[in-house]
Amino acid sequence: MAHGTEHVYSVGNEGREVFWNAPFELILFAFTAVAMAIFAYGLYKRWQLWKALGRPEDRTDNAGERIKSLIVNGLFQVKTFKDAYPGIMHALIFFGFFVLIFGAAIDATQFHIGLPFFHGKFYLWFSLTMEIFGLAVLLGVAIALYRRYIEKPDRLGYRGTPDNTADDAIVLVGIGAIIITGFIIEALRLHVNVNEDGFTWGAWSFVGYALSKTFTGIGFDTARILHKWMWWIHTFIVLGLIAYIPWSRLLHIITSSANQYMISLKPKGYLEPIADFENAESFGVGQLEDFTWKQIFDSDACTRCGRCQDGCPAYLTGKPLSPKKVIQDLKTYWLERAPVVHAAKKAAAEGEEPVIPEPEKMMVGEVIDLHELWACTNCMYCMEHCPVCIEHIPKIIGMRQYKVLMEADFAPELQLTYRNMENNSNPWGIGAHLRQDWAAEVGVKTLAEDADVEYLFYVGCSGSFDDRGKKVAIALAKILKEAGVRFGVLGPEEGCCGDSAMRGGNEYLYQIMAQTNIEVMNGYNVKKIITMCPHGYNAIKKDYPHFGGNFEVYHHTEILADLIAQGRIKLKNSVEGTFTYHDSCFLGRYNDVYDQPRNALKAVPGMNLVEMSSCFNKSFCCGAGGARMWMEEDIGERINDVRADQAIAANASTIAVGCPFCLTMMADGIKDRGKEETMEALDIAEIIWEAMGLEEAVPPAEETPSEAPKEETAE
Amino acid sequence: MNIVACVKQVPDTEALIKVKPDGSGIDEGGIKWVMSPYDEFGVEEALKTKEKFGGEVTIVSVGPARTMETIRTALAMGAEKAIHIDDPALYNADAYATASALAAAIKDIPHDIIFCGMRAIDDDSGQVGSVLAELLGLPQVTVITKLDIEGQTAKAIKPIEGAQLLIETSLPCVITAQKGLNEPRYASLPGIMKAKKKPVEVKNAGDLGLAVDQKSAVAKMSPPPARPPGKIIQGDDPAAKAAEVIRLLREEAKVI
Repeated sequence: MAHGTEHVYSVGNEGREVFWNAPFELILFAFTAVAMAIFAYGLYKRWQLWKALGRPEDRTDNAGERIKSLIVNGLFQVKTFKDAYPGIMHALIFFGFFVLIFGAAIDATQFHIGLPFFHGKFYLWFSLTMEIFGLAVLLGVAIALYRRYIEKPDRLGYRGTPDNTADDAIVLVGIGAIIITGFIIEALRLHVNVNEDGFTWGAWSFVGYALSKTFTGIGFDTARILHKWMWWIHTFIVLGLIAYIPWSRLLHIITSSANQYMISLKPKGYLEPIADFENAESFGVGQLEDFTWKQIFDSDACTRCGRCQDGCPAYLTGKPLSPKKVIQDLKTYWLERAPVVHAAKKAAAEGEEPVIPEPEKMMVGEVIDLHELWACTNCMYCMEHCPVCIEHIPKIIGMRQYKVLMEADFAPELQLTYRNMENNSNPWGIGAHLRQDWAAEVGVKTLAEDADVEYLFYVGCSGSFDDRGKKVAIALAKILKEAGVRFGVLGPEEGCCGDSAMRGGNEYLYQIMAQTNIEVMNGYNVKKIITMCPHGYNAIKKDYPHFGGNFEVYHHTEILADLIAQGRIKLKNSVEGTFTYHDSCFLGRYNDVYDQPRNALKAVPGMNLVEMSSCFNKSFCCGAGGARMWMEEDIGERINDVRADQAIAANASTIAVGCPFCLTMMADGIKDRGKEETMEALDIAEIIWEAMGLEEAVPPAEETPSEAPKEETAE
Repeated sequence: MNIVACVKQVPDTEALIKVKPDGSGIDEGGIKWVMSPYDEFGVEEALKTKEKFGGEVTIVSVGPARTMETIRTALAMGAEKAIHIDDPALYNADAYATASALAAAIKDIPHDIIFCGMRAIDDDSGQVGSVLAELLGLPQVTVITKLDIEGQTAKAIKPIEGAQLLIETSLPCVITAQKGLNEPRYASLPGIMKAKKKPVEVKNAGDLGLAVDQKSAVAKMSPPPARPPGKIIQGDDPAAKAAEVIRLLREEAKVI
């Protein structure tokens, strides 16, 4: 019956009989059908839960980009590989199984239809390939078991308590058992094929062949019986695991892939604005159904790998927040709520009174603790490193919006910040009329005075009001003037960019800030903008277009790197000491600006630039993003101190930054660690201006009064 | 309980104040107007009282059209309705005239307790609450940092130099609020949206049957003298520099 039997295998025509000894029986189809039915039923039930809750959201547009994401991150596991150890572990299992399934399909095709090439050289290499990938899976499973149950990395738990479930073990043991029983079957077959039938090519299946050498004491008839038994055990484990997929973590095969397909195609860090304040009844996310269905689906794609948690500045400094825990807690809550809601909707569809029972637990405050909610710095580490493209930050901000806009229940210090922004358009609440004072000594014109410029220098609140930030603004303005860049500022017409309001959940205030700025900028027909704060940079670049603000936006480090590359500024003073560059989250992870700041620094004569242990897209946040700049940090260690420790460990004497928030945080971290005598934090603009050697100005920090007093100090 | 809170719109504490050249007042251009911070404590206490005992909070304010923004802020915080007394005759009113206007509006509505800030941060007169109580013939407790209401009795804490007084009075009464009484709430967005639709009665002096009577008037407003520039004492000899500092403190500043 089977095509394989037509061959007579010999050297030169190597092969084997598919379903040797364990002949194909129709009942196998029946068992397979049962397994598939259980699988399909499980998926159907899950589908109902996915559909039960959430607002609509389109994640199916632009299929080309989506397929690309699926191929890159699903098929080729690119994001998974970014962390090599678990990446390789997963790849061994993933690619191993991928090839084995493909092999099984070839076997089946050979059996049912016949493959003219399934013998000889092809067969031998095929056997070897299957052998190698089978071994790969086994190795992957062994590493996974070792890692999860012996090594126990913190990321596979929460604060030292592993979050292992029985399911984790069942799946790993199940996969391992498939491979092991597969090799035993092969070994038993080879024991007979080689020793009785005289197959001389058995060694190509080297694992099974080696194993068969241990079976020498087993008679051929006994081997045949054992083989048959083992074959059915193997088959049942395989079918069992297929049926088990929708009920277990194996579901991630489907959900994670789906999530990679449904990736956000918006710019990184994009937040969907609240569209209609006037007519909406509620704002933000107060309960599960206020999320979009995709935001809820995210939690079902989570595999608890814990990469998010591994670099989360809040988690690593002892705050209750873990991005993984947030997603898992939402998942648990969804699994409680979704069946209830689904049943209620079903009843309603059948004509009964639609009664969706109230949730027993508040989502914001009980399921997600408020300390977790407010600990997030929006640093994007979690989203950047999530291999299955889960979007944590929009969920956090959605829930913050609920607390701020609906309940007005949030930290008093943040309330003060918002009032300051309302009244004086800056978080410090310094008189709005003082916004241009920093420029007194540089002589920068406002657009009102001269609108014929190439760039608007959007100074932002730090550069305008913060004493430390003002020094950066002055240094930058001097560089731009020296380089002959035609630029102007808005002066008192400039307003706060609103980033802290947006990320702190006050979308209403943010939109007022954004619209006010856009009106002024459009009024001057602004085309290009330079910002000295990555928060304004990101907001103006990515979020202002919603409100009619379409500008080419550059961060000053991008401009500086360009001016240096073009030779428009000359660096002649050399620097001493060791520098390290601290990647601002809103420059690095949000906008992939990693090289320009470093290139600018490397152009400085005598520059000794070292990297901290966390750098580039694994950079450790300073602690000030996500409106945390304005909030008390009273749980755990201070994030900026931990970052300062990394700079100290790198033997840096200067922490170079490109963000005024980072500048404040790093300077404070240096002070907290008692290193202000030997270390300082400087903005790249200050370093460059110093290196240009045009004056002895821009005192590096307050503690160097050795500088000759200048005329300006008289005021 | 029928609760009234009086508010005044004042320039933001950080605003740049420019006195008009003729000394008749301040140049209002570019000024951000806010609710006087002590009035915010009053509004917050009014809302807390309502939340505890039920009832309604009515906001009453005297001022030009721009005052509506401050009234809406109080409504956004949670007050139910407002009376806006807008009459040119009251734009530069003194404490007595302002209190008369407030009294004229409040006497016609039910009031179990009336909250005012202990003073407004623009003219610092600190009299309106007291005059209002007198005009309405009500007891008053001023500059309080804690309030407990039990039945028809109000118990208020008033800090004084080196001690605090526990003052009891009967309702209805006028309370003026000092910092420390509470933390004024941040208005929720639904609150802000609803505030736009809450009823605000705009009345002038005629509507209130009020003949504006000023007991005092600002004769002239002038900016404070410009701060003289700081002096840096030059020299190499610390002792001589110290001697010079002492001389200047004695002879010029006359502080020692």
